[in-house]
Order: sequence, then structure tokens, then C-alpha cells
Amino acid sequence: MTTSSSIAVSAIAPRKPFSQSALGTLLVLPALTAIALLYALPLARSLITAFRDSDGTWTSEHIARAFSLYGRDVLFSIGVVSASLTLITLVSIAIAGYLVLGTTPWAVRMLRWLYRWPLFIPFVVSGQLARSFLSTNGMMNGVLVESGLMAADSAQSFLDWRGLVLTFAWKQIPFVTLLLAGAMAAIDRSHIEAARNLGAGRLRCLFNILLPQAAPTLWVGLILSLVAMLSVLSVPLMLIAGNPTMMTSMMAHRITYYGDYGIANALGLFSYALTAMTAWVYLRLTLRREAAA
Amino acid sequence: MKPLTLTLGLITATLAAPAMANTTLNVFTAGDDNMVEYINEFLAPRFEATHPDVTVRAMGTGPGDAGSQAIYETLSAQRDQATWGVDVAVVHQRMAGQMVQEGLLANYVDDISTGALANSESARNALGVDVDGYVMPMFQSQIAIAYNPDLLEQPPESYAALANWVEEHPGEFGYNGITGGMAGVGFVFGWMYAFTDMADALQNGPWEEDAPARWESALDQLSTFNQHVTMTPGNAGTLDAMNRGEIAMGPVWMDMYYTWKADGRLNPNFRLLLLEPGMPGQPMYYTIPERAAEPDLAAEFIALATSPEVQAEGIVGQFNWFPGIDAEHVRGELSDAQWEQLYADVSPETLAARGFSMPQADYFRAILEAYESHVSR
Repeated sequence: MTTSSSIAVSAIAPRKPFSQSALGTLLVLPALTAIALLYALPLARSLITAFRDSDGTWTSEHIARAFSLYGRDVLFSIGVVSASLTLITLVSIAIAGYLVLGTTPWAVRMLRWLYRWPLFIPFVVSGQLARSFLSTNGMMNGVLVESGLMAADSAQSFLDWRGLVLTFAWKQIPFVTLLLAGAMAAIDRSHIEAARNLGAGRLRCLFNILLPQAAPTLWVGLILSLVAMLSVLSVPLMLIAGNPTMMTSMMAHRITYYGDYGIANALGLFSYALTAMTAWVYLRLTLRREAAA
Repeated sequence: MKPLTLTLGLITATLAAPAMANTTLNVFTAGDDNMVEYINEFLAPRFEATHPDVTVRAMGTGPGDAGSQAIYETLSAQRDQATWGVDVAVVHQRMAGQMVQEGLLANYVDDISTGALANSESARNALGVDVDGYVMPMFQSQIAIAYNPDLLEQPPESYAALANWVEEHPGEFGYNGITGGMAGVGFVFGWMYAFTDMADALQNGPWEEDAPARWESALDQLSTFNQHVTMTPGNAGTLDAMNRGEIAMGPVWMDMYYTWKADGRLNPNFRLLLLEPGMPGQPMYYTIPERAAEPDLAAEFIALATSPEVQAEGIVGQFNWFPGIDAEHVRGELSDAQWEQLYADVSPETLAARGFSMPQADYFRAILEAYESHVSR
């Protein structure tokens, strides 16, 4: 059995009578209209506004200025998101692997109950938590100093890229783990048993048996996390002082203080480009795997 | 699924427009959610009690100048229509000035009973634009420096003294730069007023193209200053850092400061001061659009909102803002304790001397852009 899809031959369904297909279309129409008006139209407007001057002429000035003023922030965003995704991958694989391969029932049960909590906490609340937890005199440093693990003067503020990475990872790990653990649990148990019978350790099972089969789900989870992290405004606004910071923060800054939708949309364009590129890479990998299967 | 069920489902999915029974007064307000709450829970009940067939509908357009911009865009889009869908607009100074210049606002102040109660400079002048008769100030907010007397006994009293002080006490002053909150932006404006000798021109205009070229030394000094201070994430970030003892001083909005103190979220020992030569503040204005559907009701609503009782109980009592009308009219409605609390650290005289206004619109933008290209890079 393989989890990669084999080419399915679908039987050609009989033509539905006109009234039924028309009603079906009508039923979907509200949802389609909502997507068209609330997503497709603003997206198109945003892309166009990034290239329009205040007089209506086409210009690349917004893109150029966005690059010169906020190029550092774009690189910072890419860096933070990459670091977060790495951390998310490592921890999610560890948790999901333990949930499937763990042999201590109470530990597995507790982990399964505990790891999902951040799922129910919105980004803005995580930002607020992190803001006081990670500061110089915050709870994290406070606990470390009080318990003697760290000297008081070596306390440093984590309200920079490290705090961002930790907050994003904390928020997205349960989501990716949920997907990954589900995918791993769906794999036939006999694979793991066969490997164990042949003497493979649990770690070997995880990396050589489970992970390759669950990899597509992991990629989906990571891509969704990437989009979520690139779109969050509250967390960078609450954690990061000044520049460099995430692109979303600078988009909001540009609109609030200058009313400058041109540069804000240019920054948005960078965001779309980043996400589109990642999606393209993912699709190429998937298609290559499908072709090889 | 049967076609009938589908059709019924479609019908229930469509929205039914409710019938309009009585008159609606549309109040559009920029600012945070607390502004909408204030209208819905404080002003609307009082107004509807005296006008039984009127419903007050409050619409928030978002915080900051962006919210005021949204109101401007709403009015501008309806420019050619006979009546507009906004009866009362509560906006910031920058947009109010622009709307007066474009003829979008009605000159109503002389016609209302409370019109004579607001005589401050900001009631007549909005960042260099003459708005006399078009606006009634709702409140005055002011940016000041909060400091922790337990960490420093004698705080510096002027910008120049502060610039020297941070070199001897690195990291003890914190502010949020120009991102994340207007408290830091206001501090930067005060810096420019102090170090460019252009304080008057910056506040009232006129705009000179070559003015930014003369700001080099002030901006360089600000860059040096920034190396000795802690940067905080925003208005709340500065207050939080002060609470945790990470910084000893920082710029804050006075009303936010008082509200946090009243809620018990701020160390009660903290004090306020206004740096010389001055720090900016800003009012928000009650305005009536030129072609409002209900201009008379709107005028009565504003008269209610700017009456001494409502200013005392709502503006001062609930929000800890400075009143929009002259303080002496509100004095009688406030208890001694309330008056003391409001002017304890910053007396009305200090406020009058050092309470500047925000820069004129072009300078506002130019200073922020200069900061971004010279200081924060």
C-alpha cells in the first residue's frame, strides 16, 4: 500500500437534468460570490494599486521605495519564517512520532491532551502572553533567576526575532502536529511492526518508515503555517520594537501614518510572491513524486 | 435533495431588509472601540431620552488617522449626492483640516448653545488650517513623559537635559520610535520642536520644500540619542516596561496613563512631566458634514456631548481625557479629587505653556519620512 495516489479511473457520470445542475450552481453561487468579492477582487485591486501613482499612471516607484525602505524587513520576515518552520518541523515530528510510537500509555495520553492547547489561543493572545513572558524582567527570566539557573545580570530580553520565532512556533506546532499525527496514525501498523521485528529502533522507524509516508501531510501543514505566519500583524506589532520587523507591521505603519496604500500594497506583493513561490516549490515536489510513483 | 428544500434554503439565506420606523442619527467616529462604546453606552441613552423617536447609530471606522481617513473617503465618495449618510463625524485634526478645506463640513458652532465654551487654539486652528466654526473639540489628549521616582529622583526637565541624561544612564529611557504608537511619534515631534528652532513653523505651516534639509543636525542627535535608549514595542510596551522596572522613563499618552492607573495596572508611584520646550497633544473634533441628512439633530447631539455635565462625567470621569471645552466650565462639575487627579502632575498653566499641537500635515509626513530614512536605518 502506498499513500501516494495512483491514477484513478473514474466512470463518466450520467448527465444530470438541467434543473438539478442549475439549482446546484445557485446553491454554490453565494459562496462563490463571497470569494470573488471578498478575496479575488481585493487581491486584484491590491496588485494593481501597487503599480499605480496617485494620478493614476503606472509606476514602479512604490516597489522601488518599498525595497529601499523596507528591504531589511523583507529579509527579516523570510529569516524569521524559515527559522520558525525549522523549529516547527523538528518539534512536530518529535511529538507526532512519540504519539504513534510511544510505549508509556500515561505519557502518550498526557502529551496528546497537552500539545493541543495553543490551538485554541488566538495569535493576538499569544502575542500578549509572549510580550510579558519573554521580556528582560518577564516570567521566563524571573523563573530562571529565582531557581538559580541563571544570574540576574545575564537576563536578556527575547523581544526580538527569537521571541517571534518562539511565539510563532508555539502557536503553529499543535496545528502541524495534529495533521502529522493523524497521517502517521493512518499508516498501517504492520509496517512499524515489521520494522521492529527486524530490529529497527523506534527512531529508525520514525525516520525511515513513518516520515517518508507522512511527508506530504507535513508539507501541507508547513505551507499553511507559512501563510499564517506571514499574515499575522498582532504578534510582530506587540513584540518587536522598531526595525527590522515583519512586513505586516510595516504595511500597517505605512497605512496608519502616511495613508500610503501604494507602498503598503507593494509590500503585500512581496508577501504574495513569497507564498506563491513556496506553493510552486511544493507543487513541483508533489508532481515529481506523483510521476515517480 | 428535493428542489423545494433547496429553494427554501436559498430564501432563508437571503437577507431581509428591516423596515425603518423612526429617525436615525448616524454618528461616525474614528478612534478605538472605546469611542464607539462611549457613544452607544453614554451619549446615546442620554440623547434618546430627550428625543424618543430618534435612534443613534454609532459606526467606528478604526483607530488613528486611518479611521479619520475612512470617514473622509466616505464623505468624499458621496460628494455629488443631495444628502449624505453621515450626520455627526468625530475625526482627528489632520482630516478635519482637509475636510474644511474641501468644503465637506458645515459651519455650525455659532448656532449651538455650547459653541462659546471652547476657546482654545485647537478649537480654531487644526494643524495650520483655520477651522473656526466648523469643529467642537471632544477632548484634548496630551503626550507626556512618565517617570519612576523610585529609580530616579531628579528627572531631566527639558529635551536637551534628557539628551545628556541618557548618555550617563544608558537604557533607562524607553520609547517606541515611530512605529507601534503615537506616544513615540509625539516624542519625536517634540524633539524636532526642541532642536530645529522651527517649532512655530512646524506646527502652523506654511510648508517649505527645503525645510527637511535643515533638520540634519537634529536627526543626527536623535540617532545618537537612540543608541542610549531602549526601544519598546508600542504605547503599551513602554508602560509595561516601566512596570517591570526595565526602564525608568518613557513617553506616554496622559489619558492612557491615568486609565491604567485607575485600573490598577500601573505603579501608583509614577509621576508625569512635560519636557521643555513642549510636547504635542491632539484633540478630536465633533463635526457635521455639509449635507448631513439630519443637521439639526446632529447639532443638538453635539451640544449635549459638549455640555459641561457630559464633558465632566464622560470625558474626564470615564476616559481621563482633558475636556474639549475650556477647563473652567467643567471645573464646577468635577469633584476636587477628580480635578486634582487630572492636573496633579501637570498643572493647567504648564499644559498651556508646554502643550503644543501636532505638526502641520506636510511636516507631519516629512518628519516621519526623515526619521525613517535617517534615523531608523
